Amino acid sequence: MAEHAAHHHEPGEDVVFGQYETIEQQRESYIVGMWTFLVTEVMFFGGLFLVYTLYRWKYAEVWHGMSLHLNFWLGGVNTAVLLLSSFSVAWAVQRAQVGDTKNQIRLLWFTVACACTFLVIKFFEYQEKIVHGLYPDWAYQGLPDVEFGPSRLFMSLYFAMTGLHGVHVLVGIIVITTLIFMTKAKAPSISDYIPTEMVALYWHFVDLVWIFLYPLFYLIPA
Amino acid sequence: MAKHFEEHGHHVIPTRTLAINLAWLMALMVLTIVAARVTHFLDTMPANVVAMSIAIFKAYLVVAIFMGVKYTTNLAKLFAIGGFVWFLLLFGILIDYFSRPWEPVKGWEPLPSTSLPRTPGVDE
Repeated sequence: MAEHAAHHHEPGEDVVFGQYETIEQQRESYIVGMWTFLVTEVMFFGGLFLVYTLYRWKYAEVWHGMSLHLNFWLGGVNTAVLLLSSFSVAWAVQRAQVGDTKNQIRLLWFTVACACTFLVIKFFEYQEKIVHGLYPDWAYQGLPDVEFGPSRLFMSLYFAMTGLHGVHVLVGIIVITTLIFMTKAKAPSISDYIPTEMVALYWHFVDLVWIFLYPLFYLIPA
Repeated sequence: MAKHFEEHGHHVIPTRTLAINLAWLMALMVLTIVAARVTHFLDTMPANVVAMSIAIFKAYLVVAIFMGVKYTTNLAKLFAIGGFVWFLLLFGILIDYFSRPWEPVKGWEPLPSTSLPRTPGVDE
């Protein structure tokens, strides 16, 4: 479909694929499709947030104590890194819209660099937990000063939720890098800014999840 | 604010708007850390409300500006908002946990009714 339409189009000219009436309708369809996917992602994470809420409600004090064992400075740096990457990918979309491919690709590379930085910091955070025997679930070894069961639940949910988020960051790196190479290669399926916009929507969602994970795990009040 | 321009149904967000949005998000992040860990003047409940309000506001800024929902078509807005409405409905399940102790069903549970999950070995 993409090849068929893109074969005869001039640079800068809008490519309307056969099944659409207008370029506006085509673009709206892509954005709505992407949001539909993001709704399923909200559902995916939603269940975990619900479990989290229930257990934090029940074990408020232990969870506050466990929260103090997480390094909120590292978590804060990671929050800043993700916010910055959200900004750079939004800027990349804007560059794609005006046809400034050179800066679009630079900003996409910067976003990938932020994503990698996030994962490196997360790796050191996980390592610190593992060194102290704070493995998830059955392997959890406990801490001398906190109740075993509830603190094990905390660490299990911490690894499950930040881990699932981490997988999304990894997927983001793969998807953005793929987009960069396809844009460079002038792939026929990339006829305008929409692929960049869709990838950016996904990346903002990853940022969005972290905006909630950060205060929920690192900053639990007394 | 710089003039936004529309062309072929897409909206180009000025760099200035994006940068201001980033500045807001960073400031709110610092605020949420200060409120939770640096100062300790807030009680548990207000601290939770402040932390979640800041998170929700940050989420709004990302969705509205960075994801461009503020400038998109009504259909796309409907789908974007739909996801978050669903998320709120999901949390409606908590009503069940809240309300169970209000009307304990005789013979249903041998233990005193509770709104929360039981800990094996502790609550039994």
